[in-house]
Amino acid sequence: MSRFSVVIPVKDGARFLDEVLAAVMREGPGEVLVVDSGSRDGSPAIARRAGADVLEVEPREFAHGRTRNLAAERTRGELICFLTQDATPCEGWLAAYEEAFALDERIGAAYGPHLPRPETSPMVARELEEFFATFSPDGRPRVQGPGDHTFLSNVNACYARRCWEEIRFRDIAYAEDQAFGIDLLARGWLKAYHPGAAVLHAHDYGLLEFMRRYFDEYRGLNLTLGHVERLGIRSTVTHVRRGVSADRRWMAEHGIAGLERARWTARSAAHHGGRKLFSALGSRAERMPPRLRRALSLERGDRPDLPPHAAPAAPDAIAMPSRGHALYEESLEVLREGPAPLLDVPEGLADRARLRIAMVIPPFRRGSGGHNTLMQILLRLERRGHLCTVWVHDHTGELESVWPAVLRRNIREYFAPIEGPVYKGFGAWHGADVVIATGWQTVHPVLRLPGCRARAYLVNDLEPEFYGASTERALAEDTYRHGLHCIAASPWLRDVLRERYGASADAFQLGVDHDTYHPRAVPRRRDSVVYYARPETARRAVPTGLLALAELRRRRPELQITLFGTRGPVLTPFDYRHAGILDGEGLARLYSSATVGLCLSLSNFSLMPKEMLACGLPCVELAGVSAESIFGEDGPIELAPLNPLALADAMERLITDQELWERRSREGIAFVSSHTWEQAADEVEAGLRHALRERERAAAAQP
Amino acid sequence: MGIADREEQATAELDRLRARVAELESQLLEVEAWANRAVAEAQEKVYWLERWHIDLNALMRKRGANELRAVAVAVRGVYRSLVRAKRRLLARM
Repeated sequence: MSRFSVVIPVKDGARFLDEVLAAVMREGPGEVLVVDSGSRDGSPAIARRAGADVLEVEPREFAHGRTRNLAAERTRGELICFLTQDATPCEGWLAAYEEAFALDERIGAAYGPHLPRPETSPMVARELEEFFATFSPDGRPRVQGPGDHTFLSNVNACYARRCWEEIRFRDIAYAEDQAFGIDLLARGWLKAYHPGAAVLHAHDYGLLEFMRRYFDEYRGLNLTLGHVERLGIRSTVTHVRRGVSADRRWMAEHGIAGLERARWTARSAAHHGGRKLFSALGSRAERMPPRLRRALSLERGDRPDLPPHAAPAAPDAIAMPSRGHALYEESLEVLREGPAPLLDVPEGLADRARLRIAMVIPPFRRGSGGHNTLMQILLRLERRGHLCTVWVHDHTGELESVWPAVLRRNIREYFAPIEGPVYKGFGAWHGADVVIATGWQTVHPVLRLPGCRARAYLVNDLEPEFYGASTERALAEDTYRHGLHCIAASPWLRDVLRERYGASADAFQLGVDHDTYHPRAVPRRRDSVVYYARPETARRAVPTGLLALAELRRRRPELQITLFGTRGPVLTPFDYRHAGILDGEGLARLYSSATVGLCLSLSNFSLMPKEMLACGLPCVELAGVSAESIFGEDGPIELAPLNPLALADAMERLITDQELWERRSREGIAFVSSHTWEQAADEVEAGLRHALRERERAAAAQP
Repeated sequence: MGIADREEQATAELDRLRARVAELESQLLEVEAWANRAVAEAQEKVYWLERWHIDLNALMRKRGANELRAVAVAVRGVYRSLVRAKRRLLARM
């Protein structure tokens, strides 16, 4: 099998996609992955017809660096080629890359020229030719190292997996390839230019689109390299004059004459003049009002997560994380100023029927399990007469363009029909009896909110475990040490919070929506496994789960496997049915038709196995983590250690032993019948009152 | 005044203050419940405006906005008069 994987990000790329994929397939790569971000022109179908794998991502989740990292993670080739949807490889493209990487073992990336298509304008065609000729005046492959041009373009580039794994694309909205070129040379890797690794490519935009494209490109250059394009009357006139002269020479050499040359000359003047203006504007975009910036940008991107100014191009410059500045600043504020003082707790407040409850939540998306838990509970607290408000703390800026009324409608539509208002940010903050933090990112801002009588922390999972050794991990751990009364989503989690962090903590049990999750009248297969395979969530141990299923399939070739929980397909060594992301109704039917459910968690137990049990589906989970705290050692759930063979054994037991299956199914339904959201709300309400009583006790203990 | 009287007076004052705090707390709850309802209802009403990022306050602060609004109201008045007249005419026929 070829050692090349080819990745092509696509959005509405139908115009060239057939041609591009046909040319790629002719080159014989090991795999081709098309990453589609919301095409409406049938691009995914074209890709599938051509034999490519298709990964679909939400348009709002697309970013040039982030999405390419995701795509590279989903491929297996030793060499990863990136093309754009309008870059058609020329014959010998992969062979040229093979040669390029053979030049030196330290080569981490290679790239080739972009040749103009026949319909490309003379201005662009000339510039492409001249630009790429500078990398290899003699037409031979060149190795580039420190001191050479850092240029690298994902229109047509190939990366050694080892190098990509070490460096990865920065999570920036633009010019991720240029940044990679800088980072690669700074880390001691080399890159290569091979004239034979050519693609036909041109941005044949109209004049205005061209200008806006340059605006975006120079904004990216400013953010990555710190480049600021000069703009003066004399220099602009000189630039335009030179550009037009060069274009006319090129046209003469290529036989464009008469009226056509006159027409292109006028266009050339507009092209060079406009480009100069928009380049200068783009490289100053960060100083512009956001609305103007959006109007001038082709991609209409106005991501606040871009660093406010360029990281210098020094080799050891460290790019700031593009998300999360606000987190650091808020934790710094807590360190510097301390938490806001709490108000006195009037006598009897903890037992008062109606409390003023403010819940602070991080940004959310449809299908977020954690937010569903929060809103199911808040809805029931509201129904008990408590005055509840929701405050969205948008620390990532991902909800920047979503206004509060829309947030409220989305919460009601995605999770639960709450009645109270939803605020974005804390501009209208007016205090509360209890303010509830709900994710580690919300704790530091909650600590700074004035006018509260107590603070609680609804802990859905052990979030420090989501990170390796990092600032995020340290900050997440720090949130358990600020005296917020924790209400944890399982006894296991409660015990960890108490024992490891010394936190005051209660527990609640996740509820099940029994109206949705109950056995449905659909035929149940006798050899079918459904697996919650969400590779983007590391704590779900997906590689282990897939190995276990591969082993089970080896033992039982007739086994039907269905994966769900992620939008795009998952790379597996076996064939399977891909169910994608399902709503409650779809999940209930899926659980009701299968023999065994597999759902692994390396941290806190999630809701999904309970929902499987409620549908009469016996389930396999990991032993030795958190499941025992809910189900006991020999409860209704089949437990197995984190070992593919042991997990395969557990699933096989349930498939082959009818008596065991029936017992587990029966016990599962009985066990979860008492796990309701009402009960969860009871436990959380008790936790909130506990937080207030602790405040009362602390006040009474003061001299 | 004896010590017992003073203690009795202080206790009474304390009880009065406690009752006042409870009363104010109860008022606060009522006001906040009313405010929450009002904000939530407003959010329900302005959903489509917010969905399309239309800030009516900002729009009306723009030069000529009030004049434009007055013109729109006048046009609407004329239109409604015509509709009414048409209805009357049709009713007589």
